[in-house]
Amino acid sequence: MTEAPWSNLAVAPAALGLLAGVVLLLVRGPVLRRALASAACLAQLGLAGWLIRLTLDGDRMVLGVGGWAPPLGIVLVVDLLAAIMLALAAVMAAACHLYGFFEVSSKAEHPLRLPLWHFLLAGINLSFTTGDLFNLFVAFEVMLIASYALLTLEANDWDVKQAYPYVAMNLVGGSLFLIAVGFVYGVFGTLNMAQLAQRLAEQPDHPVVLLAGLLLFAVFALKAGVFPLYYWLPNSYPILAAPLGAFYAGMLTKVGVYVLLRIYGTVFPHDLAVLHQLMGWLAALTMVLAVMGAVSRGFVRGILSWHILSQIGYMVVAIGLFTQTAVAACIYYIVHHIIVKATLFLAGAAGACRCGSDDLDRVSGVARVSPWLAACFFLQAMSLAGVPPLSGFWGKFVIIVEGIRLGQWWWVAAAVAAGVLTLFSMLKIWNSLFWGEPGEAARRPADARFRGMLAACLLLTGLSLVIGLGVGPFFHMAETAAAAALDQAGYAADVLGIAGKGKGAP
Amino acid sequence: MVVETALMVGVLVAAGIYLMLQPSFVRVLFGFILFSNAANLFILAMSGDPSGLRPPLLVEGAKRMVDPLPQALILTAIVIGFGVSMYLIVLLYRLFLDHKTTHAGEMFDPQRDARKVEEAS
Repeated sequence: MTEAPWSNLAVAPAALGLLAGVVLLLVRGPVLRRALASAACLAQLGLAGWLIRLTLDGDRMVLGVGGWAPPLGIVLVVDLLAAIMLALAAVMAAACHLYGFFEVSSKAEHPLRLPLWHFLLAGINLSFTTGDLFNLFVAFEVMLIASYALLTLEANDWDVKQAYPYVAMNLVGGSLFLIAVGFVYGVFGTLNMAQLAQRLAEQPDHPVVLLAGLLLFAVFALKAGVFPLYYWLPNSYPILAAPLGAFYAGMLTKVGVYVLLRIYGTVFPHDLAVLHQLMGWLAALTMVLAVMGAVSRGFVRGILSWHILSQIGYMVVAIGLFTQTAVAACIYYIVHHIIVKATLFLAGAAGACRCGSDDLDRVSGVARVSPWLAACFFLQAMSLAGVPPLSGFWGKFVIIVEGIRLGQWWWVAAAVAAGVLTLFSMLKIWNSLFWGEPGEAARRPADARFRGMLAACLLLTGLSLVIGLGVGPFFHMAETAAAAALDQAGYAADVLGIAGKGKGAP
Repeated sequence: MVVETALMVGVLVAAGIYLMLQPSFVRVLFGFILFSNAANLFILAMSGDPSGLRPPLLVEGAKRMVDPLPQALILTAIVIGFGVSMYLIVLLYRLFLDHKTTHAGEMFDPQRDARKVEEAS
């Protein structure tokens, strides 16, 4: 376990996001605002790297906020899984900031965009670091309120109505989460995840445990976008500006997947077979139905938004298989997916910007005028579909092997079918947007902002290639993270073992 | 008291969900407000340690004390629910100004969109 004063770093990712948000609200000049936002992103990146280094050998950092010993106060816990997610959030924020800076001039940017973005980041980071169920609710709400505001901030009259289902669904999810929290508190008498894990382990076969698990699953499945709770997502994401869309696509649903991993890996007993079966079946349905949704769409961001859901299916099916290797594959898949998905959103938007349209019928020939952008898109699309040796292949490969080993043939079939259909719908974008003769708009020379947008895409593609080609060390890291996340006894001992005020109270 | 609270929560949840399933966005808003209040009331009903233990923080002589944690939770939840309701009302108002309707069927009607494009051109 990492000792104080280093354990105080656990609060830093969320606190830094809040601080940056407040400061950015007060700053007036657009250039200064951008400089400060970039500095905050780089600080987040450095911080996340440092946290990964501290937790790399399976250590946990535990901070009892305000000096109260768990289970009395709020507790923040960073283990390797949380540190990886924090690093991903920081990388995404940095790359999407970069893209956004080039896409819109500093004067044209809405003054609230960057402050809200950092509040969003604070909410995301807090939900990765929290060790308390109610605090998780608060983190979700911070994240969601910032996301509602960003969603409608720059939307025009036609688009803003698409935000309503997103807001309404997430509000219901929030209230349902509150009911689940009340239920858990009433039945088990604690909201601290470590103590909850201990109390659940005392009576793993009690029907109340399953009921609490199902209630929480409904909440997190809604956040993650699992069938049949995903209809709010594919229409609302395309209304966002490109960099924000990429950030949402990368991070927001993955917070739901992370929480599923955390709750069912670290807190709930591991032998809830009914729940795991349910997760696996719903995830298999999600994969297939969502990829069909993607095939049916005719514009770039619409197709990519459906793909988010389809890929969520792979991650949740891995949690449904629930072996240590499958969970490691799930973590590796999250890392792969966040980077790839964001690059595809950015590259698709850059290509559409080049052609002046997002509609597949009206664009063509970007590969001819901008081969590097086409290369980015091609590599990432192949990675998303799972072509070896790119990063998507390794995640899918391990998940499918584990599925075969456990004899879950239907889930494996769904995963393979979804992979083929993914390839098909990616080719649809590729053929329309990149292939063919460049149109009138595309043949015009690129303006200055295009180069910066391309730089952000290249950066992320490079990162994704590193993860795919250097799969060994990265998968090993995912395995360590999975082992630490699944070690319930170690988690409870570490969290409840720290010193503080009120220790030993009943 | 337990039965009354349970009935109350049940009625509020049922009414909230009924309203949220209506096509009018104003009713969805009211449904959400009822639903979030039902959640708050539910947490209040969960006060007290199920094993009959006392509240976690005790001073000398304090024996009969209400469990403070659910009250803190509800306070937070009310503030969050209030903020979100405000946002929803403003969003609804903007939608009403843009589309002159709060009915989901009319707002998402593609033919109505097409007519509007025609009128604009």
